[in-house]
Amino acid sequence: MARKMIRVLLVEDEEINRVVARAALKAAGGGGDVVDEAENGAVAVQRVRDAAAPYDLVLMDKQMPVMDGHEATRRIRGMGVTTPIVAVSSDGLPADVEAFITSGADDFTSKPLSKEKLGIILAKFRLA
Amino acid sequence: MAAAALTSQLNALVNNMFAMGLLDDQFQQLQMLQDSTAPDFVSEVVTLFCDDGERIICELARQLEKPNVDFDRVDSYVHQLKGSSASVGAQKVKNTCIQFREFCQQRSRDGCLKTLDLVRTEFYDLRNKFQAMLQLEQQIQACYPKH
Repeated sequence: MARKMIRVLLVEDEEINRVVARAALKAAGGGGDVVDEAENGAVAVQRVRDAAAPYDLVLMDKQMPVMDGHEATRRIRGMGVTTPIVAVSSDGLPADVEAFITSGADDFTSKPLSKEKLGIILAKFRLA
Repeated sequence: MAAAALTSQLNALVNNMFAMGLLDDQFQQLQMLQDSTAPDFVSEVVTLFCDDGERIICELARQLEKPNVDFDRVDSYVHQLKGSSASVGAQKVKNTCIQFREFCQQRSRDGCLKTLDLVRTEFYDLRNKFQAMLQLEQQIQACYPKH
């Protein structure tokens, strides 16, 4: 069943992960979503700052060149942006999750993204 | 008839890859994400994995040849390979990357070199099977000419 269209910022440096994430978002009912991409945290901060309309969701990788996910999350929160930020990482140790939440992320999910994981995230933030 | 025989071969190959532990259920997830609007999705992800893997393994060999190994840098590359392995469902390669990262944490050059050999063997074995899989898919598609 299709859901309302949302604006998503996908922050991920590896193309393979971006390809899988886009497909998973589409499968989670988002054929009409606007999905912008940022290949590192610095580009993500720029995208958020320059966005014509606020994003509904940010999916943030941890380890990236130039600026990592923790720093990007801190900077986005520092701009007063309240968009849900979900950390996405293959390092799912409690310390990693806690570090992301401390940076200002709202939730954490493990890589690789799937239709099911995204469904849970979208429902949690009332984007489904 | 040819398509049926090729499809049977393809199914046997993929089933064998699961049975040997080369693939995990993430690969099935990818297959389910493929549809008529993205008919080459699995092929795209597999190709990205193969290209990434080759590049990363070459870089790892280069890094481990240096007299002073930067283990954090090596770990970063292994992390990338682990990530792309996880994305495509390459279970064996992913698990070997987990071991590899432990040797990086231990700053063990010997451990890293031995694990690099293992991951290289596993990666190329999987890549060869993926290439055979993609070839069979192309042959099957050729049996159904587009109008």
